[in-house]
Parts: sequence; structure tokens; C-alpha cells
Amino acid sequence: MKELKILYLYPDLLELYGDYGNIQVLRYRLEKRGYKAIIDRYCINDNAPDFKSYDLVFAGGGADNEQNILSEDLLQYKDNIKEAINSGVFFLLICGAYQLFGKYYKGVEGNIVPGLNIFDYYTEAITDRKKRCIGNIVIEANLNGKQTKVIGFENHGGQTFDITNSFGKVLFGNGNKFGDSEEGFMQDNVIATYLHGPLLSKNPEVTDYIIKYCLDRKYNEDIRLDELDDEFENNCRKQLLEKFIN
Amino acid sequence: MKNFFIILIMKLLHLALKICGKNGGNILGKIAYDWNPKIFNYFKIDCPIIAVTATNGKTMTNNAIAHIFKTANKKVISNTEGNNMETGILSTILKCCTLTGKIKADYLVFEVDEGYVPVIFKDLKLDTLVILDFFRDQLDRNGEVESLILKIDNFLKTYTGNLVLNNDDPNVARLGKANPNNKNVKYFSVERYDFATDTIKEAGEGKYCPFCSTQLKYEYYQYSHIGKFKCPKCDFGNNKITTLATNIDLKNRTFKVEDTLYNIRFNSIYNIYNFTACICVSSIYNIETSIVQKALSSFILNNGRLEEVEINGTPTIINLAKNPTGANVSLRILNEDDDEKELLFVLNDNIADGFDVSWIWDINFDKLNNVSRIVTSGKRAYDIAIRIKTSGFDASKIEPYLSLEEAVNSFYSTDVKKYVIANYTSLQPTRKEIFKHK
Repeated sequence: MKELKILYLYPDLLELYGDYGNIQVLRYRLEKRGYKAIIDRYCINDNAPDFKSYDLVFAGGGADNEQNILSEDLLQYKDNIKEAINSGVFFLLICGAYQLFGKYYKGVEGNIVPGLNIFDYYTEAITDRKKRCIGNIVIEANLNGKQTKVIGFENHGGQTFDITNSFGKVLFGNGNKFGDSEEGFMQDNVIATYLHGPLLSKNPEVTDYIIKYCLDRKYNEDIRLDELDDEFENNCRKQLLEKFIN
Repeated sequence: MKNFFIILIMKLLHLALKICGKNGGNILGKIAYDWNPKIFNYFKIDCPIIAVTATNGKTMTNNAIAHIFKTANKKVISNTEGNNMETGILSTILKCCTLTGKIKADYLVFEVDEGYVPVIFKDLKLDTLVILDFFRDQLDRNGEVESLILKIDNFLKTYTGNLVLNNDDPNVARLGKANPNNKNVKYFSVERYDFATDTIKEAGEGKYCPFCSTQLKYEYYQYSHIGKFKCPKCDFGNNKITTLATNIDLKNRTFKVEDTLYNIRFNSIYNIYNFTACICVSSIYNIETSIVQKALSSFILNNGRLEEVEINGTPTIINLAKNPTGANVSLRILNEDDDEKELLFVLNDNIADGFDVSWIWDINFDKLNNVSRIVTSGKRAYDIAIRIKTSGFDASKIEPYLSLEEAVNSFYSTDVKKYVIANYTSLQPTRKEIFKHK
């Protein structure tokens, strides 16, 4: 049986907006097709994980005051994470995790939380605590040459700058900054985004893009994923897209 | 003089609304507050004010305390309809005061929105504050739980009245240390019940000690992060308990405090917490135990808070769930019942619900006990259907309907026992639709 090994980072700290749902959706869509999902969790004080030995690494969003604790812990794995990314392991990073993979996060009081500095972007919080980018969001992403509308919910005070290649163009909502035209960061094996909701629950095409990428890489093939019954997902997308962008 | 006229005009407006058959909600308070935000200072209140705040359980506990005092033949003024922000509380007071701002009552009992405690009680002298729990709740509207707790903590730093705290919620128990000079802090707790677990089963907060950041050790979890905990390093949580509920028997709907057996009309663990808080408050005001016993044995709320009804012969249990914990405790009650049943879940995303529905992924739908079909509805009927499907429940047994009427019609096409979970703005429309089938 073919399998994917997934590393779920900080499930006890980065779980503010139902982010665990992304793991559940991945597992669901793998198991329905007869693949095995092996999910390992890593929390602070656990034994050091070898990021290179995984097919997919996932991390979600957390409360502001948890970013500091995390940053310190995550930074000790910087080299290992960098090697994993360079070797093609897929990274799905939501909200707080998205920010931590950049150069730094500058908090409301001007405090700097150092990032992994793996990507060139950086994030600065808006100094007015009450101002946040909050709301439903729709973006258009390019997945293997296919234009795909991605639906989610954003809730972030941080404004992310210097994005070289975004996850998608904003059709509705804010994106990386207030009123931005671009959302998130993407390269072949990385999706970093502010979209929760959770992201994968309403976007089966994104989930399948990730699954296909990981299986192709691991088993060195061009796999055709079995169709699944996505009636609920399709109806949900139809309803929400009509509401938000029509 | 200005306040005199404000009250006079509000009284006339109230009368006019009454003639039109309208209750007015918080409109009186809104107009009066906009007119003079310092109007709270004008009222002459010489009876104790008791306030209840929490994420979940405010309405239930507030109404139960008012019911106990009324059973003891006390005159009680209370916002039993749940208008719990400053304008709602002001409306309640305006309806009951004299033109000179006097209030004739033995007790004022209010449920207060978590965010409004510091606002309202800046000018009104509070005698007892009851705090039940803090859970994640509509994060896009309320922000993170921590900032809410810090606001209340700040208010409590100078507060010296009675403080009734749930010792089994670390986020509540920590508030007992806000003012070390307050000698009137009382903790309540509930002994382990049959379905308590050794590890956490549902999303929760407060995993680390707020004083020394050490991971808290739990002896057991009752639901979410509510349970018996202690900080292994600084002993936080090890408080003297004033009111302890024991012998929890949800099947027979009884529990004990000291040697008194209480019969209640509800079968959920969280109501045991609510009622234990009520018993603690009653003891502060020397209400006789036999009166509390009598009051609790007859207390029900017919407004969709664990409401039990028969619809055309089909037993139906309707419960409000505004946040993951609310939904999780509803599913606990469902899973603790071995009978075959069907579930209706109605989810809206209106402004009062919060636009963000990601919280449904913090609901634990794993291994539902003997559920044969699930109908979903509301503006986010498909979101909740996807959520339930992903947890492993057979998709062919899930029926999503955007139309509430169609959903309820399909739901009552069988006579299998019904459980209904509805979020804030969907609750009353759902009840209305269900009662059409009665």
C-alpha cells in the first residue's frame, strides 16, 4: 500500500482556527483512494524530527503570544528544514507558520520575532490592534497550469511584504496586506497562506494538487488520482463563489 | 434633572412599545446611553447586584439564580431574556426604576457579556461576580480568549466583592489571584463524572500555567479543558473549595452538595457546573437549602437551551451551540444516550454568529453513538456537511439543505428520536420551523 508520511508541527499551539481540519481532509482524501496516511505530531520538547524523512510538513496558525515560544523552538531546526525544502518535501504553512518561514515578524510593540529566513518575505503587524484583515476571501491560484479559485477565511494583523511569487491573485478580500492584489507565497513544493477555514476543506483541487505532488515525488511517477464524490464540496463552492464574487 | 427627563421619556417609550405589543430589547438602554453614558451613576440601588459572566452558560445560570431567589419570595430584577451588554442591562433597569432612579428590589441579577463587565461595573457597585468558563468563541468578532481574560483580570485588581469562580477552568481560577487583598473569593468544583476522560477530548484553552508557564497536569477532564488540574511547579489550582458537587448521576438527573441531594431537569455535565455556581451564590445570601432544592427541581428554560419537547410524538432535544465547546457538550449528551437518533445541525454565518465558520472543525464528530442520519441546514449547510463527512460519518446518510423548511420537513419524515444543534441566529428560526410540526 502506498503511503504518505505527514509531519504535523505544534498541534497543541498552532490550532486556533480549526487548522487540524487540513490534516483530517488530507487523511480523508488519501484513505478514500486506498493510500495510507501516517501522521506524526511534533510538539516543543519532543525528540527532534528529521524533516527530510517526511513527504509533507504542515503547520497552522496560533495566537500572537505563542509566536515567540515557537520561533525559538523552530529556529533550532533551520538547516534541517532548509534541506527538506530543497530536496522537495512539500510544506503547507498557514497564517502564523507562513510568517515564521520568512525573515521576521515585527509585533505590535515593535518587537522582532526572528523567522527561519528561508524565504525572502517579512511581516509587520499593524500598530493599531483593532485593525486586522478579517473576512471571507477568494483568490485565483495556478495549480500545475490550471487556474483554480481558492476559498477561505483570513484573520491577520500582520502585513507581509516582498513576496516574489504569490499563492494567488485576490478576487475578494485582502490578501497579504490590506487591499492587496496578491495572497500568500508559493513555489512547487510550498504553499504558504493566510487562508484558514480550514483551507483544504473547501478546496479539493488544492488538496489533490498536494497529494499528487507528494505521491509523484515519492514513487517517481505521474499518478492519476481517482475521482472522489465531491458533491458537498462542489455545492459549497458554487454557493460561496456566487455569494462572494458575483 | 437631565437624567430625570431621560428616564421619563424612556418610560413613555416603554409604555408605547408595550401598547404596540413590543418588548424593545435593548433599545431603551441604547437611546438613554447615547444620551448620557454616565447615567448608571444616577441610579440609587441599595440591594445587592449579582452578575454572571462566561463564554457558555450565562443565560442558564442567571435565570436559575433569579428563579432560586424568587422561590425564596425575594423581589428580583433580572435580564432573563439575555440582553447582556451595557444597553441591555440599562434597559432592564430603566423599566424597573422610579423617575428619581430608585430601584425597589431585593436583588438585581444580571448576565453580562464577557467583554462588558469592566464597562458596566465601573459605575454600578457589584456585590457578587460569578465566572463560569472561558472558551474560544467567534474569534473574528471577539478576538483571542486571552485578551478578554486580561481585561477582566484588570477590572478585578481593585474589586473586593464576592467572586465566585469555577476552580475547574484554569482560565477562571487564575482570576482569583487578580486582587490578593480580596478575601471574598470562593471557588466551586465538580467531582469526576462517568464520562470524564484522562486525556482532553475536545478543543480547549489554558494548557499552560498562567503564572509560571509550566504545562498543567490534569487528574481528569470533564469536557473541553474543564476538569481537575494543578500546576506541578507552583501549585496553581490547589484552592480551598467552597462548594463541591459530588455523586453526579446524569441518568437520574441528580447530584449532591455536602449531604443535600439535588434533583434537576437537565442531563448535562455543564449544567451541573452552572447549578453548583448557583448553590454557591445562594449560600452567600443565606438562602435555605430546602428552597434551593425546590427551586432547582422545577427550573427549566424553554428557549432552545437543552429544551426537551415532543414533536408529533417524536422526542426532540434542541440545544444552542455558538462555539466548539457548546457543540461538543451537545454531542456529549447525544453520545451518552444509547438510543437510535437523528441529528439536525443548523449553521448560519450572520454578523451575530461571526462570519468565520472554521470553528466547526473544533467540534468532535468522531464515533457518534447510534446516529442513523444527519440533516444539515442554515447558510453554511454545506460547510457543516463537509465537516461531518470528513470525520468518517457515512456521506450517504448526510442530507444538506440550504432551505430550513425543507431540512426540517425531511428531518421529521421519520419518527426516530431527534437531536437538534443550532447556532446563535439559526436557533429561533429552527425552533419555529420545528414547532410547525407539533
